[in-house]
Amino acid sequence: MAPVIELDNLVVRLGSRTILKGLNGSLSGRAIGLLGPNGAGKSTLINTLLGFYTPLSGTARIFGKDIRTDARTLRRLIGYMPENDSFIADMTAVRFVRMMAELSGLPSEEALERAHEAFYYVGLGEARYRNLGTYSLGMKQMAKLAQAIAHGPKLIFLDEPTNGLDPAARVRMIKLIREIRDTRDIHLVISSHLLRDVEECCEEVLILKDGDIAAYCDLEKERRSNLNFIELETYGREGDFAEAIEGLGCDFADLGQGHFKMVLNNDLSVADLYRLAAERNVQIRRLNHRHDSLEDIFLKAMEVPAANGSVQA
Amino acid sequence: MAVYKRNYKPYEGRLTADWSRFLVPARYALETLFESRLLIGFMVASLIFPLFAAAIIYLHHNLGALEAMRISPSNLLPIDGDFFAAFLSVQGAYAFLLTAYAGPGLISPDLSNNALPLYLCRPISRTEYVLSKMAVLFIPLSCITWVPGLLLFSFQAGVQGGGWGWDHAHWAWAIFAGSWIWIGMLSLMAVALSAWVKWKLAASALLFGVFFISSAAGAMVNEVLSTRAGNILSLGYVIGMIWANMLQLPAKSTIFGELFNVRRGDEVPQYMAWTMIALVFGSCILLLNRRLRAKEVVS
Amino acid sequence: MNVAVEPKQDTVVDQPANVSSDQTVEFLNVSKFYGDVLGVNRVSLTIPPGITSLVGPNGSGKTTLMNLVTGLIRPSCGNVRVLGLTPDDPERFFREIGYCAQFDSFPKGVTGRQFVEYALKLHGYPPADVRQGAHDALRRVNLLEAADRKVAGYSKGMRQRIRLAQSIAHRPSVIVLDEPLNGLDPMARAETMALFQQFGEEGLHVIISSHILHEVDQISDRVILLSYGYVVAEGKIRGVREEVKEHPMQILVRCDRPALLAARAFQLETVVEAKLVEADGHRGHGVLIRTRDADAFYLSLNRIVLEDNIRLESVAPADDDVLAVYQYLIGSEGGGE
Repeated sequence: MAPVIELDNLVVRLGSRTILKGLNGSLSGRAIGLLGPNGAGKSTLINTLLGFYTPLSGTARIFGKDIRTDARTLRRLIGYMPENDSFIADMTAVRFVRMMAELSGLPSEEALERAHEAFYYVGLGEARYRNLGTYSLGMKQMAKLAQAIAHGPKLIFLDEPTNGLDPAARVRMIKLIREIRDTRDIHLVISSHLLRDVEECCEEVLILKDGDIAAYCDLEKERRSNLNFIELETYGREGDFAEAIEGLGCDFADLGQGHFKMVLNNDLSVADLYRLAAERNVQIRRLNHRHDSLEDIFLKAMEVPAANGSVQA
Repeated sequence: MAVYKRNYKPYEGRLTADWSRFLVPARYALETLFESRLLIGFMVASLIFPLFAAAIIYLHHNLGALEAMRISPSNLLPIDGDFFAAFLSVQGAYAFLLTAYAGPGLISPDLSNNALPLYLCRPISRTEYVLSKMAVLFIPLSCITWVPGLLLFSFQAGVQGGGWGWDHAHWAWAIFAGSWIWIGMLSLMAVALSAWVKWKLAASALLFGVFFISSAAGAMVNEVLSTRAGNILSLGYVIGMIWANMLQLPAKSTIFGELFNVRRGDEVPQYMAWTMIALVFGSCILLLNRRLRAKEVVS
Repeated sequence: MNVAVEPKQDTVVDQPANVSSDQTVEFLNVSKFYGDVLGVNRVSLTIPPGITSLVGPNGSGKTTLMNLVTGLIRPSCGNVRVLGLTPDDPERFFREIGYCAQFDSFPKGVTGRQFVEYALKLHGYPPADVRQGAHDALRRVNLLEAADRKVAGYSKGMRQRIRLAQSIAHRPSVIVLDEPLNGLDPMARAETMALFQQFGEEGLHVIISSHILHEVDQISDRVILLSYGYVVAEGKIRGVREEVKEHPMQILVRCDRPALLAARAFQLETVVEAKLVEADGHRGHGVLIRTRDADAFYLSLNRIVLEDNIRLESVAPADDDVLAVYQYLIGSEGGGE
């Protein structure tokens, strides 16, 4: 797949501090997660790609176009859902989204059509005729998403899209994001602190730390890797069960309260565990093959000092 | 039966021309502006003085009406530089009030809830954005100042005949250019002040404040230093001077007093007036540049 | 889908019997109205020490409950007692309570340390203790290096942590936190959750409102679900699920032959439903079993797997968590607006 975002020794300085210290790399997934501790430079990276900050040196390319020279063309192709509140209180939602779509280059009537379509898509019904100042937090998030997609951009930046949403709204937002991702020709960059959200939506993840790239990882590949690493939650006569597992002779850890982690030897399988459980009348309430979850990847990335700011695919 | 599913689709239609982008905020702001009945009423009210002035011009050329009203021609206000100076003064004041009312609402709402990043992540630059907002004011302000002004001038030229228009063309120019300087300054100040304070009312108050406090400061300087140079601080005075110069008025004051003390020959030279105007323009632009940013940088 | 569960009005469920009333936070038939608008209606709760989470859509009454506990508002009817105290005794009442609100505003120009010290001074601490207390609080939230920078320059996560520091500086016994993990990066989340667990073990009352249900699952001892101003469920996390008897337990089993497993599951009396589930990304296909008796099912599963030689990929209870209870009782429309 052609790269979506290419970073070319990107250095960004704000005030007296160098925030991004020479980022290099090429991102090409449909949904790219952007993670990192506070102060690592995630927002700065997004703001630079949007053209709000000028790089000190180096550059970046989106769809092959340089952000320093082609900013105007790029901005028609980009949608942005900011983290903070961003609205005009005395405008109705429809008018607001329509104006934003027109600013992105759509003719007036088409902008109105697309605005309504966007509202239908995000699930704002009658409320779209009300002033944005009267909206609740969840509705404001949906309105922000609507203005980000109404003009049909090819790349959408979502900054903490589930911020402040109650559980039902979060589920809905994730579902929407996945649907958008599955549309042809659209790419998403999702920045979030909630690793679960990123795990559910993204295929690639870029992890920043202290202005450098700490890790770049293809989640699809991670998930397909086949480890015989098993996690168990049992109930009933755990002491017995622990003994039995020991008897199998493989590496295991007893986490207490019936939780076990183990690596099965090649000649063993899950069926053997079930045999032991059946013999001892123990329930296996939970069983899964562990692969490195995003949380593990993230924590690992935080421990390694960021080396040379380059992406190892 | 067919069931239609609505999915997200990218946009494949036509796009508007790039240069026309800057018209978009202006269009929306104008729509909002003219929804206000107060504004429309105000604009109607601001045409009262021009109508009055037109009546005077009419009377100058209609002895029959004069006799009927029992006014002798020599008592009627002459159509001279002072006449148009008075016109500019009054309409200039209306323009000021209108800007104080309508100006802050242009930018403050965009800033108070952080909508600016959403503007600037689209193909529109900061300059286009500001020009667009200022353009919103140009239309009503023009309708109050030079448009009726030039109409009056043409009326007089037409009725008077005999090349009066050509002889006094510099007055037409003064009306046109002088109004535009005033419009430009007011719009820029309104936009800059409303970028500075996020609350509409505060920006209006500031606009008033800037004018009256600067006048007061000028008066104080005059008192303390026993000079008339302090008048340079008063913006109304400054524009008055420029108008007087353009209208080539002899050195005397108008009947409409202190707000726009349109006179020549005081201790403050012309070039200082122009410098003052340039200063105002410059500081507004600086203020806008600082305050209108997509993201604030806090070090 | 909205399941009507009768609000537990005057009875108190799952009352911790061994905790006396001056060690709990109590709501006795409390209602709060703002003019005509409902805050909460006839709420009775007893909150013991430990970590209790408030869960519910926006507008369901969480903020009202928190404001009632911290004494910022008074109930329209009923009584609120925190450790036996009420706001009528402000000296003692406010000393016991710390509140970390959601609002992100600070006095202009203060540094982090000043902000925390200010709070301590308001509580009447002498100057030496003010410095020490602020220092301790800043250390607990890991903001010592940045303490002398202006709060205006903090990142969102740091601002969250400085507000937390301010609410714990005077060592209250009851800490009320409104979405305290908002804006924190994953490591700070883990650290803060560990901090809360420490507080819980020290015997403090930690009352947290949160939308992130898997975190609620992880650290809370008890949970209170609110909807439209009513308490729809409350109690220990594990127990709450079992109370929702209208919904049989759901267990998701991913394996190589789900249809066969489904057929065998149906032979069990207690299984009421078996639904084939498609593969989802990297996870293979499987079957979702609903059963009235989870214990019996698990034991039978052992047998079925061995007899039919089924290769299992994963087994997991599909709804033994707060999210499931939330969806059953509150659903996707059960808000407050």
